[in-house]
Amino acid sequence: MNIWIIMGFELRRQLRSRTLLLNMFLLPLVLIFLLGASLSGVVGVQGADEIKPVRVAIVNSGGGGAEASAILTAFLESAEVKGLIIPVKTESREAAESGLRTSKYAYGVIVPPGFDQEVQSGKKANLEFILGRSHDDNRVAGTAFDNLLMELNYKQAAAVTLGPQALTATTAPAGKPGVVLGDLNNGGKTYSAAQFYAASMLLMFLMYSGLTVTASLFNDKENHTLFRIHSMPVKDSHLFIGKMLGVGLVSILQCLTIILLSDWLFGVYWGNRPGLLLLFCLLMIAASMTLGVLICLFSRTSATATNIISVLTIVMTFVSGGMAPLPDSWVNSAGAFTLNHWVQQAVIRMMLHSGLEQLLPNLWVMCFISVALFAAVIVSYRKVGYRG
Amino acid sequence: MALAVLSDVVKRYDGKLIVDHVNFNIQEGEIFGLLGPNGAGKSTTISMICGLLQADSGDIIIDGLSVRERPLEVKKRIGLVPQELALYENMTASDNVSFFGRLYGLRGQLLKERTWEALEFTGLSDRAKDKPSTFSGGMKRRLNIACAIMHRPRLIIMDEPTVGIDPQSRNHILESVKALNKMGSSVIYTSHYMEEVAAICDRVAIMDQGHIIACGTENELRERVAHEEKIVVKAAGITPALVNELGQHPRINRVEAVQDAIELYLPSSQSALQDILFIFSKHEGVIASLNIEEPDLETLFLSLTGRTLRD
Repeated sequence: MNIWIIMGFELRRQLRSRTLLLNMFLLPLVLIFLLGASLSGVVGVQGADEIKPVRVAIVNSGGGGAEASAILTAFLESAEVKGLIIPVKTESREAAESGLRTSKYAYGVIVPPGFDQEVQSGKKANLEFILGRSHDDNRVAGTAFDNLLMELNYKQAAAVTLGPQALTATTAPAGKPGVVLGDLNNGGKTYSAAQFYAASMLLMFLMYSGLTVTASLFNDKENHTLFRIHSMPVKDSHLFIGKMLGVGLVSILQCLTIILLSDWLFGVYWGNRPGLLLLFCLLMIAASMTLGVLICLFSRTSATATNIISVLTIVMTFVSGGMAPLPDSWVNSAGAFTLNHWVQQAVIRMMLHSGLEQLLPNLWVMCFISVALFAAVIVSYRKVGYRG
Repeated sequence: MALAVLSDVVKRYDGKLIVDHVNFNIQEGEIFGLLGPNGAGKSTTISMICGLLQADSGDIIIDGLSVRERPLEVKKRIGLVPQELALYENMTASDNVSFFGRLYGLRGQLLKERTWEALEFTGLSDRAKDKPSTFSGGMKRRLNIACAIMHRPRLIIMDEPTVGIDPQSRNHILESVKALNKMGSSVIYTSHYMEEVAAICDRVAIMDQGHIIACGTENELRERVAHEEKIVVKAAGITPALVNELGQHPRINRVEAVQDAIELYLPSSQSALQDILFIFSKHEGVIASLNIEEPDLETLFLSLTGRTLRD
């Protein structure tokens, strides 16, 4: 029962401190806003430019325009290609070249006579591409026709090896497109600066829960209230656990506030796994608090413990790439030894809708770290104790 | 009937003997004074009685329970007023009292009543919603007491509760101690102010360098030094030669020079008064006043240790 009394009192005591409220609840939101707004070019992948459809001059040198090649026609009418290529029937190579020079067309394709028959019989078949003036348009059209060539090569290989009847077997089943437009990073969303710094600041401030623990433990020593409580019918362990739970609850409130308000105020998207996100945050709080307690138990003064935790928090945030994404280097490798690294990576992956299999390794590492630190606290507490 | 019994209690720190085979007992309903200079071992003794420190040897029994064997049960019966203020500065006076009350097991209406009662008793009920950070030193001391008495303990331990406060608050606290005693609590009152202990305590133990050097009622202790009188002479022109000659007088036991006065300890003032006046006259000392004082606890401490309580 005393555990809950001490926990409740600790919670009220913490929430009555204006400095603490400002530092724990307001400062992270201000930082997320400032960093997210000002460093939007530093992190994340810029939104891809919209791909404009390319006007392509199609010349059937055997006559009959584009329709002369059924393969090409089918390709150009497929749903995926329609949005990228606008085919324009052109009478001659000269007309196409003239149109390319005047930017009437952006790309040209010359279809030789008997193209389809040669493909189907497995003979050598050529398509001629004429580049236009725009590099981007050339790339878009080139990529689209590369896909056609790859498919044709595949079909030809099948026809040469298995005979012309194999061509029907290699055709994609109806209703299932041969090409699927996918999204990068599984979820197809790239993370924004606001998301990156929201995750980074959330973790940095959760690490500060170690600082809150230290302040709380030393405060009772310096106020002599610890001495008074020890003269009361309260078990030492109950006092310690009660205080930890009180500070832990404040950190959970802080975590929820940062997540919900950053979502509401700045539109930060935290991903599609809120439960897992909270679990990671809880593990981060547990690890930070136990680290804080360890430092506190072995520090003589509040100032020493506070300085150690502050420096550790800043260093861990930086080394884990929380200030800005780090290039591959030894600093980046060292990030693997920080608490932030594992949770930040997981949070970013959740924002990008990564699969569970990509998140579980981080979860196991954090569980291991938390359990190891917790065990260290129990051993240390038994040796050192918490006394006034 | 003894409420607290200390038998052969010993405590060492880093091999140094801080409390050396201390024996005393506190009777039900009495105010027991523990008098001694700073570093005498009073606070260590108090800490052992409260179960904050474990004695290296010996036994402490409170209300029939051993502190060593049943510390939590003993703690329920004790209210400790620590020497240092032990308060949460950013919580209100009432929050402070009720939090400590809850830890003593008080709940609901009873907790509310006792919180109010403790604040009323210490004269702080009108400041119940204010934070201690806005209080004067004396008010904080009184709140420090309120936090220790709301559960109506059988034994209240006050460790130098009047250090550093104004005379008005000191009087209030001394009156509070008497009132608490009348309400049924036994009190252990430690101080190095001899006057306080003499004013409120039924019995006194004098402690020095970890030992109890004397224990009894004030009258019993005075009788131990009844063979010695103290003459305080306030005078101008006190010289080392004057002090020296007084010290060599065969009927004077000791001489203490205190600022513009000389304190003389001797078996009988009448037998040497004439000589004392003569020596002052010889050294041209101008006497402003001369008082013959009855022996007090300070005299006793001096006679037993050769030092004053404030040394």
